[in-house]
Amino acid sequence: MPRVPYWNIDFGIVMDLLAIPVIFIFLYGFYRQWLLIRQGKMRVNPDVGKMIQGIAAFQPGAFFVRGILNEKLYRKPFSGIAHGFVFFGMAILFIGTNLVILNVLFGLPVFNGAFNQWFMAFGLDLAGVLALCGVVFFLLRRAFMPERLKLPAARKGFVIACGLLGGILLTGFILEGARLAAGSLEIGAFAGNLIAAGFIGNTHALSIHTVTWWIHGLLALSFIAYIPFSPLVHIVLAPVNAGFADPAPGVKMGVIDFSSFESEDSEEAPLLGADKLSDFTRKRFLDFASCVWCGRCQEVCPAHSTEKPLSPKGVIVTMAERLSKGQLDEPVWDNISMEAIFNCTTCAACMEACPVSINQPKTIMKFRQNLVMEQSKIPELMGKAIASLEQRAHPFFGTGSGMAEWRKDLDVPFFEAGETEYLLWIGCSVTYEQRAQKIGRAMVNILNKAGVSYGILEDFRCTGDPAKQMGNEFLFAEIAQQNIEEFSELGIKKIITLCPHCYNSFTRHYSKLGGDYEVIPHGSMIQMLMDENKIKFDKKPQRITYHDPCYLGRRNGEYEAPRALMSAAGNLIEMPRHKNESFCCGGGGGNYWAEETGRRINQERAKEAFDTKADIIATACPFCLLMLTDGLKKCTEETKAFDIAEIVASCLPDVSRSS
Amino acid sequence: MHIVVLAKVVPDYLVPSMDFELKDNRAHERYSRMLGLYDENAIETAIQLKEKTSAALSLISFGSENDVQFLRKAAAMGVDQLILIKGQSDDAAVIAQNLMAAVKTLGPVDLILAGQQSADMDRGVVPGILAQMLEMPFIPQIGYIDSKGGEWAVTQITATGKRELEFKGPGVLSITSIPENVPRIPVVRAIFAAKKKPVTKLESINQGKMALTELGVEIPKTKSICEFIDVEDMNAAAKTLLTRLTEERYI
Repeated sequence: MPRVPYWNIDFGIVMDLLAIPVIFIFLYGFYRQWLLIRQGKMRVNPDVGKMIQGIAAFQPGAFFVRGILNEKLYRKPFSGIAHGFVFFGMAILFIGTNLVILNVLFGLPVFNGAFNQWFMAFGLDLAGVLALCGVVFFLLRRAFMPERLKLPAARKGFVIACGLLGGILLTGFILEGARLAAGSLEIGAFAGNLIAAGFIGNTHALSIHTVTWWIHGLLALSFIAYIPFSPLVHIVLAPVNAGFADPAPGVKMGVIDFSSFESEDSEEAPLLGADKLSDFTRKRFLDFASCVWCGRCQEVCPAHSTEKPLSPKGVIVTMAERLSKGQLDEPVWDNISMEAIFNCTTCAACMEACPVSINQPKTIMKFRQNLVMEQSKIPELMGKAIASLEQRAHPFFGTGSGMAEWRKDLDVPFFEAGETEYLLWIGCSVTYEQRAQKIGRAMVNILNKAGVSYGILEDFRCTGDPAKQMGNEFLFAEIAQQNIEEFSELGIKKIITLCPHCYNSFTRHYSKLGGDYEVIPHGSMIQMLMDENKIKFDKKPQRITYHDPCYLGRRNGEYEAPRALMSAAGNLIEMPRHKNESFCCGGGGGNYWAEETGRRINQERAKEAFDTKADIIATACPFCLLMLTDGLKKCTEETKAFDIAEIVASCLPDVSRSS
Repeated sequence: MHIVVLAKVVPDYLVPSMDFELKDNRAHERYSRMLGLYDENAIETAIQLKEKTSAALSLISFGSENDVQFLRKAAAMGVDQLILIKGQSDDAAVIAQNLMAAVKTLGPVDLILAGQQSADMDRGVVPGILAQMLEMPFIPQIGYIDSKGGEWAVTQITATGKRELEFKGPGVLSITSIPENVPRIPVVRAIFAAKKKPVTKLESINQGKMALTELGVEIPKTKSICEFIDVEDMNAAAKTLLTRLTEERYI
């Protein structure tokens, strides 16, 4: 017998009428969210493309894959699957409910034949059971919360939301069971049949059905009304946030135009960075509103996981609370410490882990910019590095190496305008740090062997990246402009970088200052030479594990070229955390010059690498190499950490690793 | 209240010894130029004092016109006015004479601070000579300064300890480096404002030269000597290392 709308229900229309104000409450709730978000600054950036409401350009692909399919959630399988059960289960039930409405309004034949049996009965029962399993999982997890959910604070409202959802699902099953018990069992409705046969007798079926129908309906309406006023607001905000997120990987800080400081009274010029909520853009406001306080960012944060004060979750939660309380103009420094802000290694692991596409490092970096450029506050060693950058155009204060020491006794050509093809950009660490100098020497040997047309600059200057990462955008812009001018004079078009930080600066930031170059990380260059048979080497019987530098991997998506080289030079074995889930060496964001509190990040990572029992720990960043070399001292006296160029050079005939 | 800080623009004082070379008996001109190491500590100390006492703060430097771009950093840090005496002498008495003349253009001053020693000549005598010329007390190696009811309470910090002193009236202090006077990174809007601050330029006088002649300048040559210490027994190796370092007077 087909199902009859409002069967056994008097005045069912009341429920429909109640739905009207509920829909208004729901829409008002989201309008209120928009009112909160629109308090943020409009972004004015011609590079962003077609911007919507000054937030960002909308990316439908990201909206669907990261927002709707929740791709990142499944990296934690238990909570990912449970979330999938709830989200997709409820989505199917929502579709089912709407089909019922269409049946009532237009007589859509959904209760007939195979569709009724497989979708309306079996499909909806299955969706309900899975969603209920998910709800039970989440309720249990709220009862026994892992640290990432608890600290620094757990978001309130999830238990009520889960309770409502559980109530809707349970009453839905009882309702179905009562309906079937009063009539006849239905093929496919396995859950309803079980309840009808096992728990509800014929005598009370009708009254149970009536009472449960009203409870179920009222719970469902309450749930809908509650969504925009609860953590469930993420159902809408998370996909929207994913859609507005920058499509390129990693953190992009953009560049700051300082011309207003030149032209106006500098006291009137706009604030640099951020020290309160109202300094952020609408996109950041959307980040804060979307956060579900899940703590996945905190769990992968190298600073937090080594007992430092920074919690990326803590930063976002502080801002989210201020947003909900309307505290737009109170400075944040009572809640967010300067130490925490400088703990960030800008590794972007938090961004990578975030299931709702929040850009935590950007918020942290905005605070850092304010501390440095507006308040002159910076940890002492970082301050010395910045001062050295300003005075000497490199951050390695107190280095024992002169500018030309890295190429002592080597034949290295200088870049000649119109003659040389590639600029080999050496970078500050390779120039001034003794251990890293060997990377430059190895690369020169490889390029010479392959007969590449390359040259270096006679005088060295940093890219300015350390200044930028330490929050001194102004110094970065000054140094970058000087480099761009010099590159233009020399007609430089192609650059080989030895350091991912330089690579990131050239590709991400120099282009915005007028410097457009074809930039090739040294790993990709060597792979190209290998593919073109310009260099040949044999595999050695050595086990190599590869540490992904954050600025090459997560920030620029380059995972494969270094691995291809290491697979050609030996047997590649992976660390537990690798590729996009790699753990930082601790040196990023200027923290190479940090006096670390808590445990040392480089020692944690070095141990992870050492525990693979690899003969060689490879990396493709001089800062990572220096940090791992230092970190490994706790594990072994052997020298195990090498740059990929050193490893390749050591495999080349007639070139030794120590060259 | 008016505080004066003296500062000198010097060649990079952190050039690695292996990379260091002389030209005309002075550091090669290819090295970056910057404010002296202790001079920056003196500037920072003076700015902190200015913030505490609402004093006016002037900087006086003896050097070349090219130095102005580096002196502007002091203005960005918080110095109110810059005075450059255009001169080239390395003679401590001549420099002091010129500084005295510049100080006198300012009218009464309450305190004069200088770096403990310049980063190029490393003598540490100019502030003392200036104090004598101005007939003011001179106290070297000062870390902390406090203004107490018309008197100055200062702490002298040496390698062996510290001494607390008090004096009344103006004085000349040379400032040493302490954690509290690490020079600040100037804030951006102050860097731009500093570009607009006027610089008073004075001509130098070349009087009172000391009766001495520079015959030559030499810098120590770096040489590497490698000596292996047997590490079969770590305790014995540590003792040997300690003995060797003591013998060679490294420690």
